[in-house]
Amino acid sequence: MAVSGLRVEVGGKEILTGLDLVVRPGEVHAIMGPNGSGKSTLAHVLSGRDGYVVTGGSVSYQCRDLLAMAPEERARAGLFLGFQYPVEIPGVSNVYLLRSALNARRAARGVSEIDAAGFLRLVKAKARLMQMDESFLQRGVNEGFSGGEKKRNEIFQMAVLEPVLAILDETDSGLDIDALKVVANGVNSLRDPARAFVLVTHYQRLLDYIRPDFVHVLAGGRIIRTGDHTLALELEADGYEQILAAASS
Amino acid sequence: MSQSTVRDDPGDQAGNRRPWLAAAEQSGSTASGLDWLRERRTAALARADRLGLPDQSHEEWRYTSLAPFTRRWLEHLAGVRLPAAPELVPPALAGVFSVDIVDGMLCAPLLATPPGLTIQSLQTLGPEWRTQVEALLGSTVSARDDSASDSLVDLNTALLNDLILVTTEPGASVAMPIHIRLQATAASALCQTRLLVDLAAGSRLTLSLVCTGTAGVLVNAVAQIRLGRDSELNLVRVQALPDDGMLTESTSIEVNDAATVTVTSVDLGAQLSRQSLTVRLAGTGASANLNGLFLADGHRHIDNRTTLQHEAPSTISREFFRGIAADHGHGVFSGKIIVQPGAAGSNAALTNRNLLLTTTAEIDTKPELEIYVDDVRCSHGATTGQLDANALFYLQSRGLDLSAARQVLTAAFLRDSLTSIALPELRERLEALLESRLQAQTGAAS
Repeated sequence: MAVSGLRVEVGGKEILTGLDLVVRPGEVHAIMGPNGSGKSTLAHVLSGRDGYVVTGGSVSYQCRDLLAMAPEERARAGLFLGFQYPVEIPGVSNVYLLRSALNARRAARGVSEIDAAGFLRLVKAKARLMQMDESFLQRGVNEGFSGGEKKRNEIFQMAVLEPVLAILDETDSGLDIDALKVVANGVNSLRDPARAFVLVTHYQRLLDYIRPDFVHVLAGGRIIRTGDHTLALELEADGYEQILAAASS
Repeated sequence: MSQSTVRDDPGDQAGNRRPWLAAAEQSGSTASGLDWLRERRTAALARADRLGLPDQSHEEWRYTSLAPFTRRWLEHLAGVRLPAAPELVPPALAGVFSVDIVDGMLCAPLLATPPGLTIQSLQTLGPEWRTQVEALLGSTVSARDDSASDSLVDLNTALLNDLILVTTEPGASVAMPIHIRLQATAASALCQTRLLVDLAAGSRLTLSLVCTGTAGVLVNAVAQIRLGRDSELNLVRVQALPDDGMLTESTSIEVNDAATVTVTSVDLGAQLSRQSLTVRLAGTGASANLNGLFLADGHRHIDNRTTLQHEAPSTISREFFRGIAADHGHGVFSGKIIVQPGAAGSNAALTNRNLLLTTTAEIDTKPELEIYVDDVRCSHGATTGQLDANALFYLQSRGLDLSAARQVLTAAFLRDSLTSIALPELRERLEALLESRLQAQTGAAS
């Protein structure tokens, strides 16, 4: 995926002011930044959410114009968004959602629907990976889940759908240390030369468990500094202010 | 369509505007086995004649006009018939005891009713049942001074051809669900069904009532239900009349000490349907769970009025009513909770959620609380809106297209209302039927 010069407005206010980012297969990128820097806007624009007006720049994904694709087309092309605030959908079970999602992706690739037994084996294996009780599968999507359970469910969905590019929006927020380890373990187990991750996060904590190839600092709607995983440690030690000051001087 | 010469003024009750008088002449001579009811019927007719049918000047009938109903009744009495339209066939279910009631009459003698249960009609009802029947008939004293709506009950009493009495024996747990299929045909101008249900102390029963009919039918249904101490009733009521059918329905349920009633009400048919459901929690510790769902698509007008009356201490009510309106449909829901002075320690909750699938549809909702005692917990709330945009995006981000996401969310919305149906086969059929109807909607909207 290549993001170039991306400018985005929300409600008439420019949030992204010319953002560049290139993500290649197999890479893990962390996007860090203070509140209001545009992290979640980036995640939402890439996944196709309504209410964001692109005023400049481009995003190409697998040689296609990502911004011209509907959200479901992006998903079928292997893009996955892990929500910061996963939505509760009572009456729609987790398995139902996953089977529909999986079959939508398979149909887009011209593959026939997954058979019931194979599907069940798959979801049970992935549920074990995420240390989720099988009873969660039959429950309504995120219905009555705790904050940690919701985030775990996002990673579980990602594990079942096996995306090409996963964008995880503040997946670490609201997690206790045990849940954080489970989530990180889920991500690490999916690391693959053909799969890329963009981790959007405020804190360095998640990166103790998932070692990124690149760390980007987002401020004022664009990336002001890029480094390897040591940049996250530097941010943790010095805070955002110092880097922001250094960048503006 | 109509060849009738009836004037367009529903307020005029003079002369031929009183269809019940003509109807009474027709039915009075045909009904048999009604001798000991004669006095009651005469009084009911006189009262109905005095009150007339309710009109929109009554607050509780604000959104629903019975003018088309009256017009149709007069047409039927004059012999005007509507062209045949496809009729909804009442579902035959496995593993249930089915009872067919056609135009209010039990159509065949019942053999081998399940143990602990009796089902009778006027033909089989001996004089020893008279006290019990009269007690049940008298139990429709309205909770909210609905004198206007009571005329519908009076009309039913005056004009009925038969009544069906379902009773259980004390302590009996009737394992097999009773599936009553109320079928209305155009053979009667206005089909009057009357159902009495009396659960003895400690007994348990699952009862479904499915109302279907032929083209253009008019139905005025009354059900009076009493739950004895410690008894349990799971009641499913489905209105599946043809698209041009019309229904008025009055149901009252009296729940005595520690008894529990669970009601699932589903409206998916008719041109005009008005249900008034009153639950009286009359005994200490009595409880009621009420789940409702209506689908007002096409040009349907569906009005549901529920009253939950807490009369005794420590009574509990839970009500969840959902409505979906589409096309030019009009849904009305008004839910009232009354907590009387004697009902200390009671707990009541009422939720109403409505979904508008098109901008041309309309839903009017009015939850009301009337509380006359301090020591109670009551909550109520109502919302009307469209599908949740966040949930739609969530599903899209997982690869479902917009129309599929709409279908999934709409189906989930209604499925929640049906979970209290204790007959799995009926529940599945209703789910499938409702989902296929909604598929047309959500497909068209995207």
